[in-house]
Amino acid sequence: MRKRITFGRVLLYAVLIAGSVVMAFPMAFAISGSLCDLEDFYAHPWFPYPTKVYLENYRILFSAKFTAQVEIWRWMANTLVRIVWYTLIPGTVAVLAGYVFARLRFRGRDTAFMYLLSSMMIPGIVFLIPTYIIMARFPGAGGNDWRGQGGHGFLNEWPALLIPGLVNVFYIFMLRQTYYTIPADFEEAARVDGASTLRCLKDVYLPMLKPTLTVLVIFQFVAIWNDYQWPLIVSSGNKKIWTVALGFQQMLLVGASYKGYPPGSAIVDYPFSFAMAAVATLPLIFLFFGLQRYFVEGVQGFAIKG
Amino acid sequence: MTAISKQALAGEMPLLERFARWRYRHRQALEGWLILTPILAYYSFFFIFPVVANLYISFTSWSGVAGAPKWVGLSHYKAYFSGYYLLTIFNTFLFTVTILLASTIIAFFIAVLLNQKVIGRGLYRALWYIPTLTSAAITAQVFFAFISPYDGVFNAVLKALGKPIVIWTLSPFWMRTFIIVFSIWRGVGVPVVLFLAALQGIHPEIYEAAMVDGASSWALLRHITVPLLRPMLIFVLITGTISGFQIFETAMLISAGGQFNVASSGGPRNMTNVMLLQIYKDAFVNLDLGRAAAGSVIMAIILLWFTSTNMRILSRGQVEQ
Repeated sequence: MRKRITFGRVLLYAVLIAGSVVMAFPMAFAISGSLCDLEDFYAHPWFPYPTKVYLENYRILFSAKFTAQVEIWRWMANTLVRIVWYTLIPGTVAVLAGYVFARLRFRGRDTAFMYLLSSMMIPGIVFLIPTYIIMARFPGAGGNDWRGQGGHGFLNEWPALLIPGLVNVFYIFMLRQTYYTIPADFEEAARVDGASTLRCLKDVYLPMLKPTLTVLVIFQFVAIWNDYQWPLIVSSGNKKIWTVALGFQQMLLVGASYKGYPPGSAIVDYPFSFAMAAVATLPLIFLFFGLQRYFVEGVQGFAIKG
Repeated sequence: MTAISKQALAGEMPLLERFARWRYRHRQALEGWLILTPILAYYSFFFIFPVVANLYISFTSWSGVAGAPKWVGLSHYKAYFSGYYLLTIFNTFLFTVTILLASTIIAFFIAVLLNQKVIGRGLYRALWYIPTLTSAAITAQVFFAFISPYDGVFNAVLKALGKPIVIWTLSPFWMRTFIIVFSIWRGVGVPVVLFLAALQGIHPEIYEAAMVDGASSWALLRHITVPLLRPMLIFVLITGTISGFQIFETAMLISAGGQFNVASSGGPRNMTNVMLLQIYKDAFVNLDLGRAAAGSVIMAIILLWFTSTNMRILSRGQVEQ
C-alpha cells in the first residue's frame, strides 16, 4: 500500500493520540502533582507542574519516622508473602491437576473435572459470606471451641489471608489446555529411561510449561497486589497483617496530620497522597514494562482458551 | 509357562509382589486420585459447601457473630421488592449496561485503529492497558482529588474561570457519571487487547479480496471486521456483564470520598448504591447475614439468567469459523 499523508491517516493519529492522552492524564496528573508543593499545585489546577525542585513528599514518605508510624515496608512485605504463597500453591495445584486431567486415564477423571468446573458458573459473591463465616467460626482457631463458638476464629490473623482461594479452577483449566499442546512422546522417552511421574513433571514438562506459568505468575501478582475486598473484610482490625492496597488508605490519614496540619483537619494534601499513590502503583507498572509481551499474550491466551 | 493359569500363578506369588503388580496395573488411577483427593476435598469445603450454606443462610436470620441461624422463610427475598432494594438493583443494571456498552464501543474502535500500521503502537497499547493494573483503592483517591467539593481540581478550575462551584458529591447525576467514567477508564484496556488479538487473527487476504471488488472502508468494517469479531464480542460482553455486576470497589470508594467506608458509601440518597455494596452493608455493617445471603442468591440468579440470555441472543446465526 502507498504511504501517503491522507486525511484519514491524520484523523487516525489525532484520535489515537487524543485517546491516549485522556487515558494517561490521571496518572500524569498525579505524578506531576506529587512533585509540587501546595502553592504550585493550586497555581495551575488544569495540570499542576513544579516550578522548583520539590521532593519533600517523597522524602517524608521514605523517612524513618514516617515508615515507623505507617509501616509501609511491613505492608509491602505482607503483600509479597501473599503473592509468593498465592503463586506457589495454586500454581503447583494447577500443574499437578492439569497433568492428571490431560495425561492420566482412569475412571472418574472426567466426572471430577466437571465437578471442579461447575463453580466457574457461579459468581464470586456467593462464596464470600460463607467463606467469611468459615474463617470466623473455624473450630479451635482464635479462641473458638470445637463448635466454632466463643472466639474470633481466624479473623484479623494470618490464616484468613492465606487459606481461601488455594485451588483455582481457571488455572487448572489453563494448565490442562497447555498439556494438550505438548506431544506425549517427550514423557514416553523419559519413561523408557526409567523416570518417575514427579521426575517427568519436573524435568520434562516444567520447562515447556514456562510461558503459561509466567502468565499465571503475572495474573496472580496483579490480583494479589490489588486485592482489597478480602483483606478489608478479614483483616481491617489488625494493622500488622495489612496489605498495600488496604494500608494505603491508612497512609492518607496519617500523612495529612504529618505535614503539620492539625489532626482531623479537613485539609487534604493531594500532592502528598499522589506521591503515596505513585509509590504503591509503580511496582506494577515496572512489572508491566518488563513483561509487556507476556501480559498481552496472557490476556489474549485467556480469551482464546477461556 | 503360558499354559499355567493366572490364578495358579497368583497363588504361588508372594503377597508383596501381587501388590506391586496390582499397583502397576492401576498406576494411573492411583496417581490421579493421590493428587486429586486433597484438591477435591479442599474444593468441596471452600466452593461447594459455601454455595449450599449460602442458600440455607438466606432463609434464616443470623448476625454471624453469635447464636444460631433462625429460620425466617422467604422474608429476606420479599424485602428485595421494597423500593430501597429495587433501587440497588436498578443502579447495578444502570452501571453495568452503560459501562459495558461504552467500553465495548470505545475498545472496538481503538482496537481497529491500533490494528493499522501506526508508529508507536506499543506505547498506545501500554497507555490503554496500564490503568487496568492499578488498584481501585489507590486510583479512586487520585480521582477523588478531581471531584472533591471544597479543594478539588474541578472546582479550582471553575473558580479560575469565574464560574460558581458545584458540590459534586451531592449530585446523583454527577456521582453516577464519575463512577461510570472511572470504571471505563480503569477497565477499557482489557477489551482493547482482546479485540486487538482477534483482529490480528483475521487474514489480510480477506480484506484484499474485498478491496479488489471495490468495497469502501466502511463496507470492510461493516461486512468483514464486525462479523469476524463476533465470537470475541460475545466473550467481551459476557465477561463484561459478570464483572460489571460485581461493581463494588469503585462505587464504594468514589461515593465515600475515596475512603474505605462501607457505611457512608452509596450516596447521595442511595443513588449510587449497587447490589454488591448493599450485600456488604447488610453483612458487615448491619450484621444481617441472612439478608446479605439472599442478596447474593438473587444476584447469582440474575447473572445466570442475563448471561444465558446474552449468549443465546448473540450466538444466534453465528457462523462457525
